[in-house]
Amino acid sequence: MMRIACLLMTNEPAAHTTLLQVALAHSPRVEDAGGGCVYLDAAGLRSLFGDDATLADRLREAATAAGLAVRVGIAASRIGALAAARFGSGATVVEPGGDAAALATAPLALLTLSEALATRLSRWGLRTLGELAALPTAGLFERAGAEGVQAQRLARGEDPRPLASWRPEPAFEESVDCEWGLETLEPVVERLGELAARLCGRLGARGLAADGFEWICRLAGGRAHEGALTPAVPLTEATAVTGLLRLALEARPPRGIVEGLTLRARPTRAAPAQESLTDPSRPSPRFLAATMNRLVALVGSDRIGAPALLDSHRPDAVGLGAYASPSPRRGEGRVRGSEVRGSEARGSGNAPVLALRRLRPPAPAAVTLASGRPVAMRSSRLAGRIVAGVGPWRSSGEWWTQQPWLQDEWDVELADGTLCRLAHDGSAWHIAGIYD
Amino acid sequence: MGVPIESSPPPGWEREGIDSLLGMFPPGRLSEIVGPRSSGASSLLLALIARITTSGSGEGGGQVAFVDGMDALDPASTAAAGADLSALLWVRCGGRLRVALSAADLLARCPGFALVVLDLDELGPVPPSAYIRLQRAVEGTPTTLIVRSERHREGTPASLVLATRRLAPRWMGLRPLTRLAGLRSEISISRSRLHPLSPLGRGQGEGSWTLDWTLSQ
Repeated sequence: MMRIACLLMTNEPAAHTTLLQVALAHSPRVEDAGGGCVYLDAAGLRSLFGDDATLADRLREAATAAGLAVRVGIAASRIGALAAARFGSGATVVEPGGDAAALATAPLALLTLSEALATRLSRWGLRTLGELAALPTAGLFERAGAEGVQAQRLARGEDPRPLASWRPEPAFEESVDCEWGLETLEPVVERLGELAARLCGRLGARGLAADGFEWICRLAGGRAHEGALTPAVPLTEATAVTGLLRLALEARPPRGIVEGLTLRARPTRAAPAQESLTDPSRPSPRFLAATMNRLVALVGSDRIGAPALLDSHRPDAVGLGAYASPSPRRGEGRVRGSEVRGSEARGSGNAPVLALRRLRPPAPAAVTLASGRPVAMRSSRLAGRIVAGVGPWRSSGEWWTQQPWLQDEWDVELADGTLCRLAHDGSAWHIAGIYD
Repeated sequence: MGVPIESSPPPGWEREGIDSLLGMFPPGRLSEIVGPRSSGASSLLLALIARITTSGSGEGGGQVAFVDGMDALDPASTAAAGADLSALLWVRCGGRLRVALSAADLLARCPGFALVVLDLDELGPVPPSAYIRLQRAVEGTPTTLIVRSERHREGTPASLVLATRRLAPRWMGLRPLTRLAGLRSEISISRSRLHPLSPLGRGQGEGSWTLDWTLSQ
């Protein structure tokens, strides 16, 4: 026999989580209906709390003890329990089989109806659930469809849908006390590795990964050493997490004897390593995270990432976006607050494109002109007579900003066969790149 | 000055030819592309990157790591060649040889990249031990490792060495010329320890391709 209890909060809607905790303390199956309303499965609780009336009183007392003012209703259906809670005396029990009678005088507004159906029922002059329940079902179906019949079933206290269980968000945090105190880094990393293994096990069991970790080292004397790291990709493997923690702690070790450790993980959904069977696999998140951290230490965080074209005609307007975390759809993405050009700039894949090798920064050059055309050049990278050349290709932009730019570009061939792009920015010549 | 005059893109590009060329690079081995400036070596690299990053049938192709020794990669050219930039990890080394070698070593040991490129260009000389270390890093993996440099150094463990040679630039228009259309270059197998087109097995000139690279506008 189905028995549902409804806890309806009459104050402090912000304390909804507390209401859920009160319900969960009495029944393992709880549904969060939102708006200060919680349902719980009251079937089978007699041996624990006594009959329904006792359970209703107990629920109300528990809520009061938690600082909440609630009304409680118990019935055989959600809608019956809600009506009992809303229109009852404070702790109301509808006996089995009595839902329809209890609902008869309840207003139609108790149901969540579509606007069209609510308007139609109102035009028919229906005001209470009892009036809706009394309509012939076949005729109601012909006029209001399946939604009308479903509403009538609810009005009769027939609600076969099971509770949608609510579970509190798990806290991914592990702690350990170090009885003897840890003076060197190695045992600290070892303990953190044990905590990481526990956390990763819990994350993996829920199909989750962690995209951030925080640790707290409780030091002797009441001080604390805190830190956080964000891996390049969400992780579920303890060895990779331990490796990152080791790198972070080596860079900034705790200054004192460690008496306790806490490690927290920020859970997120793990992205699949391979989108489909026909696609090539991506780098392992475990190895990629460690490799990215080492590369950042090697070259700097501003020199590694996925290249992206900025939405500008300025020469060499490129940026670096995040690589692989999360994986953007092809040709889409944002780079440092700017829209990027991707798909429109990309070719068809069949074009045999001549590559330009950029010189960064552009190499200053001394250029000899004849009739306004460059005929020779000399720089630290290239020098020689110019045997062929086309230009100038003039471009300019951003004259409306503080950094306007203007550039005349020439494609030239040197006597040794080198093809390069010369540029004049209005004041000086430089080599922008070499075709290769 | 004998300048060829062309009014339309040349028909020199053969899809079949470039496909067979790009399919030569062996996974799990070190390969080299060597050639002087303006010889088409970088264009060949971009064609290979485009082929790999768009190889999947779904959202993602193969992943490519590009260790850029001289900060010379032009993303606009890369995108124009057809590459998926989101599948490309670009590591800019700022002209530091040791940093470039270390970065390539790290990436070669990270499973999952279909291609790792070490673009050294003029950087060097590279000690042979570094090549051996890189070769060992990708042995037995599906990762293709390519080192691009100006010249081949004897004693490296490269399984395939492709040499690029500049044939001629292609200009468009009558005098005066109107624009640079592209570059014609020749790519030949300088060494192959895997393919039957090896100079040891075939004539020296048989393993070569003439390719026309077009300047995208």
